Amino acid sequence: MIYFDNAATTSTLKGAEEIFIRENREDFANPSSAHAFGRGASKKLEEARESILEDLHLDKTHTLVFTSGATESNNLALKGLAFHYQKRGKRIITSSVEHPSVLNALKELVPFGFDVVILPVTSEGKVDPETLKKAMNNETILVSIMAVNNEVGAINDVSALARIVHGFPKAYFHVDATQAMTKIPFDYASCDLLSFSGHKFGAFKGSGALIYKKSIVFEAVNAGGEQEQGFRAGTVNMPGNVAMAYALHEGLKNLKEHEQSVRVLHDYLQQNLAQMDGVEINSPADGAPYVLNFSVTKKKASVVVEALSENEIYVSTVSACSSEEPVSYVLLAMGKSDGAAHNSIRLSFSSDNTLEEGKRFLEVFSTIMMGVQDR
Amino acid sequence: MNPDMLMIHYGELSTKGDNRKLFVNQLARNIRHALKAFPSLNVEASRDHAYVELHEEDPEKVIARLQDVSGIHSISIVFKSSKDLDSLKKYAVELLSKEQGESFKVNVKRADKSFPMSSYDLACALGDYCLDHTAFKVDVHHPDVNLDVDVREEAAYLSCHDYLGAGGYPLGMNGKCLTLLSGGIDSPVAAYLLLRRGIRIECIHFAAPPYTSDAVIDKLKDILKILNTYQEDIKLNVVPFTELQLAIYKNVDEPYCITIMRRMMFRIAEGLAKKEHCLAIATGESVGQVASQTLPSMIAINDVTNFPVLRPMCTMDKLDSIALAEKIGTYEISIRPYEDCCTIFKPKAPKTKPQIHDCEFFESKFDWKPMVEKCIAEVKSYLLVDGVEKQFAEDSKPVLEK
Repeated sequence: MIYFDNAATTSTLKGAEEIFIRENREDFANPSSAHAFGRGASKKLEEARESILEDLHLDKTHTLVFTSGATESNNLALKGLAFHYQKRGKRIITSSVEHPSVLNALKELVPFGFDVVILPVTSEGKVDPETLKKAMNNETILVSIMAVNNEVGAINDVSALARIVHGFPKAYFHVDATQAMTKIPFDYASCDLLSFSGHKFGAFKGSGALIYKKSIVFEAVNAGGEQEQGFRAGTVNMPGNVAMAYALHEGLKNLKEHEQSVRVLHDYLQQNLAQMDGVEINSPADGAPYVLNFSVTKKKASVVVEALSENEIYVSTVSACSSEEPVSYVLLAMGKSDGAAHNSIRLSFSSDNTLEEGKRFLEVFSTIMMGVQDR
Repeated sequence: MNPDMLMIHYGELSTKGDNRKLFVNQLARNIRHALKAFPSLNVEASRDHAYVELHEEDPEKVIARLQDVSGIHSISIVFKSSKDLDSLKKYAVELLSKEQGESFKVNVKRADKSFPMSSYDLACALGDYCLDHTAFKVDVHHPDVNLDVDVREEAAYLSCHDYLGAGGYPLGMNGKCLTLLSGGIDSPVAAYLLLRRGIRIECIHFAAPPYTSDAVIDKLKDILKILNTYQEDIKLNVVPFTELQLAIYKNVDEPYCITIMRRMMFRIAEGLAKKEHCLAIATGESVGQVASQTLPSMIAINDVTNFPVLRPMCTMDKLDSIALAEKIGTYEISIRPYEDCCTIFKPKAPKTKPQIHDCEFFESKFDWKPMVEKCIAEVKSYLLVDGVEKQFAEDSKPVLEK
């Protein structure tokens, strides 16, 4: 099997699995319980919180709510903050290539009178700081822009964007860092709020976090108990979060080394695919090496993906074999053609992938491209 | 007061002569099988009715299960009474007062001829008593409620509530039919209608990977798990169709592709039907619905086989089909986004009036016979039993390693 769908989710690190099993066996108490057993679990949870903040050098300025993943973090950050600070202003700015958990959460704010501005992106999938500058005004309370795009791997200049936002004292800057954590370093301290999922870097599905500046207050989205400073009701997933703190620590420690090995694979595939007839590369040249997006110009992407799947090669596509075909709004926003947006394929890597796998992929892919019917 | 038994009225069996016993016995077997989740129940089938002694089981639950058994016209809940007039009166009033409506009629059958009153006299006596003791009026022509009284040797049986059954014939009496299953809305409904008519089914599906997704097979399995309600075990045969389909698209003019494809499907279905001892082929086609389902298309397609092709849906509107699919529970599965036939193979202008000689011309351009035979030989089969997939012993292909 060749797994090139690591932007969807990764396998779990062995160390994370051991922690998860151990904590579930030995410290299964509810961290909110008042007894000593519960306090023990609570201590583990607080250590995990501290460890994450320390690894990102945010322990002095920021704090953290554990969530079920980036979708929940994004909803909590955007809705929670918008409702709390709506008296200061109602303008919220985002970009057209954000993850659906950002775009759809903001869409839900429109009926409440919020003015949601969606910025265009460059042909490379990035937000131009100048575009943001023009959109900012004194009514703006929130700007949400992703660090690394999940479909094409475009990297935004988080520091430059943050500087613009912080020129307006009422505005907060939220960054969806789901595809960046342990992969692409950026200026974490420049973010007022930061979302990510654990399962994108070797921790478990169902773990995630929202990091935020200590001075920020937001409205809880879920009603319930007083867990997580009252911002996120529900029994906390302590073993999952401890495993996530471990995976983040390991990932950050090995960031450079992993990036180098993934880049070898990425560049090899990028160069070879670019030369193939009927393939157009969509990912920007200076994007994250973890994502390589391309379109097949003559084939249906869903058919190619199904054929790869038959060969136990697992990649991602937005296309499906149905008459109402979905289309990549990210590629359309980057100005790619309709055909390209309907037939894109995303390869996404982890440090476990090898150059051998890349070679095998190219072999199978070329055979498929010769074998399957044109669309 | 708890009901004592259910009386099962047979469907169209009353027209049968000497074969009747075979039909009744098959139905009794099917009823016993359908009720195996209720081990305390006792089923007895006679020439005219079958009885289920309830032994404290919830009649609603038992009836709901029986309503899925083909060959049953209706089911009534029956109360047992001793044969003296006073207790019959008491039961009659008690039963009637639970019913809704304004008018009633008493029908008496007296199998026990030693009972001192005639059927008519007993009906009058009970009717009179009910008239005085309930709010119901008598209407012997169009009553809202029929109170049936059956006086027999051992006791008298009263009932006034009927539940409609599925109708049709007992499953297994009408042989087996190979049903084309696409994954759309119509074909599962066609399969259901066959089952209701007492026809056992086996299914055939044409898969064209990678142009179709493997997810379609999972979808079909889920549909068959629902149809397991009507037939305990259903076999799904998946034909590897890609090679033949590509050959068709290479050799045949685009407007004729679907026609030729359907002709090939019928050839393969006939071959497999014979191998699997099926007596007919069935499709979910409805006349005029799409290009391949016009009558001229049916002539051109049907020309390749003289096997009976059953089209239970042939006169149904799409909305009727959807309503039935919703009723049996296959609709939600059918509308999942995976299609059986990829858009790559959909001609822009398919022929609605194809000519047989044109079909034969296109088919003369390539050697399809070995491909059809290969399709039949390389069928992959799955077995669904009582909502669970069972592995075939002969299935030697390894399970995909993950």
